[in-house]
Amino acid sequence: MKNYPIWKSLTVLSLVLLGIIFAIPSIIYDENSENWFLKNKINLGLDLQGGSYLLLEVQLDVLYKEELENFADSVRLISRDNATKIEKIVIEENEVIVTFTDNNKIKEIRDSFFQMYRGVTLKINNNKLNIKLNDEYKKIIQDSAIKQSLEIVRKRIDESGTKEPLIQRSGKKRILLQLPGVKDPERIKDLLGKTAKLTFHIVDDENTSALQNNLTPFGKIIVSDIYDENIKYLLEKRSVVGGENLVDAKGSFDQTEGHAVSFRFDTEGAQKFGKVTTNNIGKRMAVLLDGVVITAPRINSAITGGSGIITGNFNAQEAADLAVLLRAGALPAPLEIVEERSVGAGLGADSIAAGQIAAIIGMVLVCVFMILIYGIFGALANISLIVNLFIIISLLGTIGATLTLPGIAGIVLTIGMAVDANVLIFERIKEESSKQKKIYQIVKNGFDRAMSTILDANITTLIAAVLLFAFGSGPIRGFSITLSLGVIASMFTALMLTNFLVYLYLSFANKKELNL
Amino acid sequence: MFGLNKIIPVEPNFNFLGLRRNFLIVSVIAILISIGLLSIKGLNLGIDFKGGTLIEVSTKNTSIGELREILSSSYSDVSLQEFGSENIILIRLQNKSNQESIETVNSVKSLIQDKVVEFRRSEFVGPTISSELLFRGFQAVSFALIAILIYIWLRFEWQFGFGAVVALTHDVLFTLGLLSILNIEFSLATIAAILTIAGYSINDTVVIFDRVRENLRKYKKLELVDLFNLSVNNTLSRTIMTSLTTLLALVSLFIFGGEVIRPFALTMIIGVIIGTYSSVFIAVPTLLIFKFRPQDEDD
Repeated sequence: MKNYPIWKSLTVLSLVLLGIIFAIPSIIYDENSENWFLKNKINLGLDLQGGSYLLLEVQLDVLYKEELENFADSVRLISRDNATKIEKIVIEENEVIVTFTDNNKIKEIRDSFFQMYRGVTLKINNNKLNIKLNDEYKKIIQDSAIKQSLEIVRKRIDESGTKEPLIQRSGKKRILLQLPGVKDPERIKDLLGKTAKLTFHIVDDENTSALQNNLTPFGKIIVSDIYDENIKYLLEKRSVVGGENLVDAKGSFDQTEGHAVSFRFDTEGAQKFGKVTTNNIGKRMAVLLDGVVITAPRINSAITGGSGIITGNFNAQEAADLAVLLRAGALPAPLEIVEERSVGAGLGADSIAAGQIAAIIGMVLVCVFMILIYGIFGALANISLIVNLFIIISLLGTIGATLTLPGIAGIVLTIGMAVDANVLIFERIKEESSKQKKIYQIVKNGFDRAMSTILDANITTLIAAVLLFAFGSGPIRGFSITLSLGVIASMFTALMLTNFLVYLYLSFANKKELNL
Repeated sequence: MFGLNKIIPVEPNFNFLGLRRNFLIVSVIAILISIGLLSIKGLNLGIDFKGGTLIEVSTKNTSIGELREILSSSYSDVSLQEFGSENIILIRLQNKSNQESIETVNSVKSLIQDKVVEFRRSEFVGPTISSELLFRGFQAVSFALIAILIYIWLRFEWQFGFGAVVALTHDVLFTLGLLSILNIEFSLATIAAILTIAGYSINDTVVIFDRVRENLRKYKKLELVDLFNLSVNNTLSRTIMTSLTTLLALVSLFIFGGEVIRPFALTMIIGVIIGTYSSVFIAVPTLLIFKFRPQDEDD
């Protein structure tokens, strides 16, 4: 080929070939293929394949409040050890203020407290002790809560049988969940909506006046029944044993009680449980889930085997789900759903079909237009445009990007904008042909002169696309990815492929004159 | 071959700059109306930015009226709308708190269960998220404008950067004004559309500026107005051609791309037209404010 180095031809052709080859996996789109090559296909976003997106927020305030209450309890114990009386304890938003009757031993109390909770800010003001939950301490609570929550959420989702879930931390206190194929996320939401904190407490049936007057004695708690809020129980605040000692739980069926959850303790749990049941025969044992009593059976004999069943008015699904929750463990704090987007498979399929039609029709319109305006050169630009599309698809496939509905819009838009570089070049060639006679010089000048304009124009678009990616969320990112790849691919196809094709055409057609 | 390009003269010589005062008045009025609309009427915020619940259902032999009757007995703030076809209905609800919304979705679903063939999608955006999304959207648009300004500044002279940003701000405000008047839903996708419009408009402007810079070097004695006119005319066929191919693709997206993408496509169509207009009639005339001459250039 005249005036065109062979190495350049080979580079262009091999890049084009690679672009086409690596588009194949996405075009065939075999969902379950394990083939190393066919696996390099585009991932469909939840809005195209159907599925659920959930954003959960860990309710850290609950944890902070809990920790402040722990502070108060600990101060009570420490001051008792130091034979100091407490006048009052006030729990505020971020601190506990303890007022003692005298300040004789306040320094000792402060120091022992600091031994237990390193990192809190302690201030003495006469006979008052301020215990402040400072930001560093909060951050420690936050990080460990998120880490724990992530783990528990993962276990629960895995247990629910969802395929290929994506579970990750998002920002400071949120967890992002993508559940492809889950059409109705209600069950998942139920599974995540419970903290599933399980504890066993001895019921105090003797102190009836406390319940009647709704006054909670020190060391006790009053809680309601899960099925009837008006039924109250007075329980020992200290739990006998908790869910963290469970090693197994599963749904089971009991002849007399119906659906139930059977569970097994680890050695430590079994020992504790055995001891308490031995000492409290005749009393009732309440099973508390997230602060409400599920059941409170009487202890008829010591239970030393370390296993038992929890009954309640469960149906089979409820019993199975409770077992899942117990196996996965308790969340450190409740999770709140702050964003949810679910798309059914039907809408996803419709969107793909509509996107394909829009892309094909847009493509045909642009191609026809280019031929009408630029004739044979338009046809060359069209070849570049088609290759451009292949390259976008293959790049999306190989980098494992996710294609969303806005992403499809980005591709269609790229089809319209990609010819811009070609148009710039052709217009330059047209201009040059009025100044020059030598055909190859005209073409060369056209490409050279258009180059800097093409770069400037495309880099500005790229800036917008990159910022969209940086600050955008979810579907918008999908759009910015296809737009960026489209811009990059269109620069390559215009400056290299169209260039190659024009030279190829000129040397074969043996033209003396450009009819642009 | 067909040679349709001959319709546009090879060397057009329109006096664009001569019309600049008329178009400036048009644009100033349009911008003032846009600002007025934005502050009085505001934008039709979708749930991304307002928060709330949205459920899309396909029904069988049930009119939108029937569904409305069922739902409005339980919810005062429910709105229903046909979405693309008669049997696809969009249900929107405003919710106060996160917890309430989760329950709302469930109860709405159970109320209309037997009238519905498929729950096509359901979306819920909590109040904290929606305000965050709005903030991040504004952040993205402002950073993009600043980054583009810096790029143009580095590549050209600062006067060009100024001209480009005036044109861009014009485009964004004008587009927002039209979105408000046409009551097109403002969603996350709209933010993407606006940023893309910014990218497109700047692309257009840069091509013309590129030519202005080149001509400033070439014709050192030419009056600035004539030089700018020449530059716009030099690039005119490209400007028209690229706008047309982009519009062809966007119209195809608007007609065939499905209901969900339609507001995005429409916003883009509006933006591309405004962006093309502003490159010629706003960006270039803005350069006339400055008395720069070729000696300012760096070569």
